Amino acid sequence: MMALTGARPRRFSGRLNPPAAVWVVLLLFCVFALAVPRFASAGNLENLLRVGSILGIAACGQTIVLILGGIEFSFGASAALASVVTVLALPSAGVAGGFAAGATAVLLVGLVNGTLVARFSLPPFLVTLGMLMVAGGGAAVLAGGLPIDAPPSDAFSWPARGRVAGIPVPILAAAASFALLHLLLAHTRAGRLWYLVGANGTAARLSGITVWRSVLAGYLLAGAFCALAAVILTSRVASGQPGLAPNLPFETIAACAVGGIPLAGGQGRAVQTLCGVLVIAMLNNAVVLLNLPVAYQQLMIAAVILGAVLLQQAPRLLLLLPVRPARQPEEERS
Amino acid sequence: MTRTAMTRQTRGDPGKIWTLEVSGIAKNYGATCALRNASLRLRPGKVHALLGENGAGKSTLVKIVVGAIQPDRGRIALNGVPTLFAGVRQAIAAGVIPIYQHLSLFPHLSVLENLSAFAIAGAAGLRARPALVPRATARAWLDAVGLGCDLDLPVERLSVGERQLVEIARGLGQRCTLLVLDEPTAALTHDETDRLFGVVRRLCAEGTAVLFISHKFDEIEALADDVTVLRDGVAVIDAEPLASLSRAELVRAMLGDMVEPGDRALPQPGGPVLTATGLRLGPADAAADITVRAGEIVGLAGLVGSGALELAAALAGARPVAAGTLAVRGEALPAGDRVRAVAAGVGYVPADRHAEGLFGPLAALQNASSSTVALFSRGGLLRPGGEAAALMPWLRRLNLHPFQPERPAAGFSGGNQQKLLLSRNLAVPDLRVLVVLEPTRGVDIAARETIHDALVEAAGRGVAVVVASSDLDEVMALSHRILVVRHGSLDGELPRGTGRAALMDRLAGRRAA
Repeated sequence: MMALTGARPRRFSGRLNPPAAVWVVLLLFCVFALAVPRFASAGNLENLLRVGSILGIAACGQTIVLILGGIEFSFGASAALASVVTVLALPSAGVAGGFAAGATAVLLVGLVNGTLVARFSLPPFLVTLGMLMVAGGGAAVLAGGLPIDAPPSDAFSWPARGRVAGIPVPILAAAASFALLHLLLAHTRAGRLWYLVGANGTAARLSGITVWRSVLAGYLLAGAFCALAAVILTSRVASGQPGLAPNLPFETIAACAVGGIPLAGGQGRAVQTLCGVLVIAMLNNAVVLLNLPVAYQQLMIAAVILGAVLLQQAPRLLLLLPVRPARQPEEERS
Repeated sequence: MTRTAMTRQTRGDPGKIWTLEVSGIAKNYGATCALRNASLRLRPGKVHALLGENGAGKSTLVKIVVGAIQPDRGRIALNGVPTLFAGVRQAIAAGVIPIYQHLSLFPHLSVLENLSAFAIAGAAGLRARPALVPRATARAWLDAVGLGCDLDLPVERLSVGERQLVEIARGLGQRCTLLVLDEPTAALTHDETDRLFGVVRRLCAEGTAVLFISHKFDEIEALADDVTVLRDGVAVIDAEPLASLSRAELVRAMLGDMVEPGDRALPQPGGPVLTATGLRLGPADAAADITVRAGEIVGLAGLVGSGALELAAALAGARPVAAGTLAVRGEALPAGDRVRAVAAGVGYVPADRHAEGLFGPLAALQNASSSTVALFSRGGLLRPGGEAAALMPWLRRLNLHPFQPERPAAGFSGGNQQKLLLSRNLAVPDLRVLVVLEPTRGVDIAARETIHDALVEAAGRGVAVVVASSDLDEVMALSHRILVVRHGSLDGELPRGTGRAALMDRLAGRRAA
């Protein structure tokens, strides 16, 4: 009731209802535009979005899993597995076939995650952590421990470097992903069921909802988003790397949290994830422009993420006021 | 704290000392005013009942008394000394011991450790482990509440009633001048309730004042000496002896000028709709055959632990059974499958609305529509406006208050949350069976009437209704016939009009000669 976004009644009708993270995005943009040279140039902004698009697409998947009350740790390792599978499949299957093989690998990981969580009621934390190790280990075994270069070709680099109507493909893919996520969450039956299942699985079951199907579909779709991100990532690095994106799951969780999505399930909107992704993308970009040492980059990013989360979940803390325990609204009066 | 110094404090009644005197209390939450002018005066050694509807300000007043929140305005005096507690711990130190509806024990810790909780909480930071209460002392506290359990037993192994006694025992260990019991009997069996009341009376005899909050008139009449009634944040009856007031007067004070409901006319039952054959909850339970007809309301009544609620849940396909078959209008329904049950038009309102019914963070409208999402979606897409069109009429009919369908369900009072669960089921197209567990537990009188009306109305349109409730008045008021549940199965049937005493006898296993 007091938190800026999380507890506000979400509207499924699609009316404009900006989350608090919008202000973080605007504030950060203004600060960087003034303080960081070249930040606001068109070229840099395009670059920022292109780099951030991979995180954005994967974060769309993470959003679904978080709404379901779960969490997805296997994204990075499954992207690495996808890159290795893609490059290994290239000689026989061609570029499109290679990407399809890589994407299938990610979808399989999603399927296993979903099956274990939905059908066997295992905790998502452990399942996806386990699959992180399985996918990462699998990638290392397949690659023989070393990165494998992909033979350079225009077709192979198109997902990462191509343009359609002058706009980079990754940015288009991210825009499409967010549009799809919004459609799924706000306007489809499947999305509505994710909210219900995530908010209270028992109540969902007793309402006559086939909970396992909803959960499985959620993890599969999350895998699909991750597969798209993996294709672009593989194309960008032009190689199969067993250690490709170790931080991806954590960055996607951070993006959702910065956007104000509680990890408790049942809540979250596409626009919140978008805001969180933009915050992290701007930070990553700014520390590169400022040429900070890598260690400082991480510290600064960590500080901003924690600050943004604090700002959303406990605004009083930032003003150094004591936080009051949330009042139980058991006696409501109007 | 000497008694002589404080005689002046008591207004207009020199020589008389109130254990607790609260006057002119106001408390606002933002724009909403929870208390306008509340007062409360408790005599030592007396049980004082605090009555009021949900939303009347009871909980707020109690929280102020126990120091959980501070009033905006008003005066509090404990044994005549003006007091303002900064927190619950201070209040406990001053001898104001709250016993909550939701127990505040640590389930994994032993009885002894729980009894020592206040001492542990009071100990400073990282100092050596605070000493537990000596076993002999703990034993004495338990004896005082008539509990003979093992001190080393984890609290989770005790029954709810026993846990409540442990909590009271813990309070007794403190210097207890005022015991605050907030709906203490909500989860107790009749025996446990009797035991609790015995303990309360014994405490009173020793001079402790007791503030007793309950929705149940029978308990209030059995236990309380004085009564205060809150309505809209004002004390409309201010510390008057209970004996001077009739039940009707109390209800009128709580509700204002609302008319008291009379006996409801129940609809004429039609043909059989729900049939359960050879239903066994567990392999050791006896088989139950139940038939509910269209337009009939069947009450399932049993003591806590009798299996009445479980049997009702099984009828709705909400829990698996050891054996037996269910059928709706002759079509077989697998047990424990709510998906198929909803498709067959079987509605279900669970007993524990928070754990099993509500989607707390989601809007009221979405809570009400969770069983009918398919109804307003086409090709996987939600039809714009379809949800509101399907559910708003029900929310309006059940008088959701405040009428804010976009507000998260967690932000509504218990009665209105219950209305959401009811609309969820009433909106099911072709509803044939409605199984309702504890329809009005912890719900105020006005909402209770609305919910009862809705159930009778549902029966009126041909729905077969099953009501399982620990509230016997409710079962008697609503049911065409009452099925007695004992030991996990049926133990006879009572017709409408059966008296309360006869029903109680049957529930306890005594048969009339």
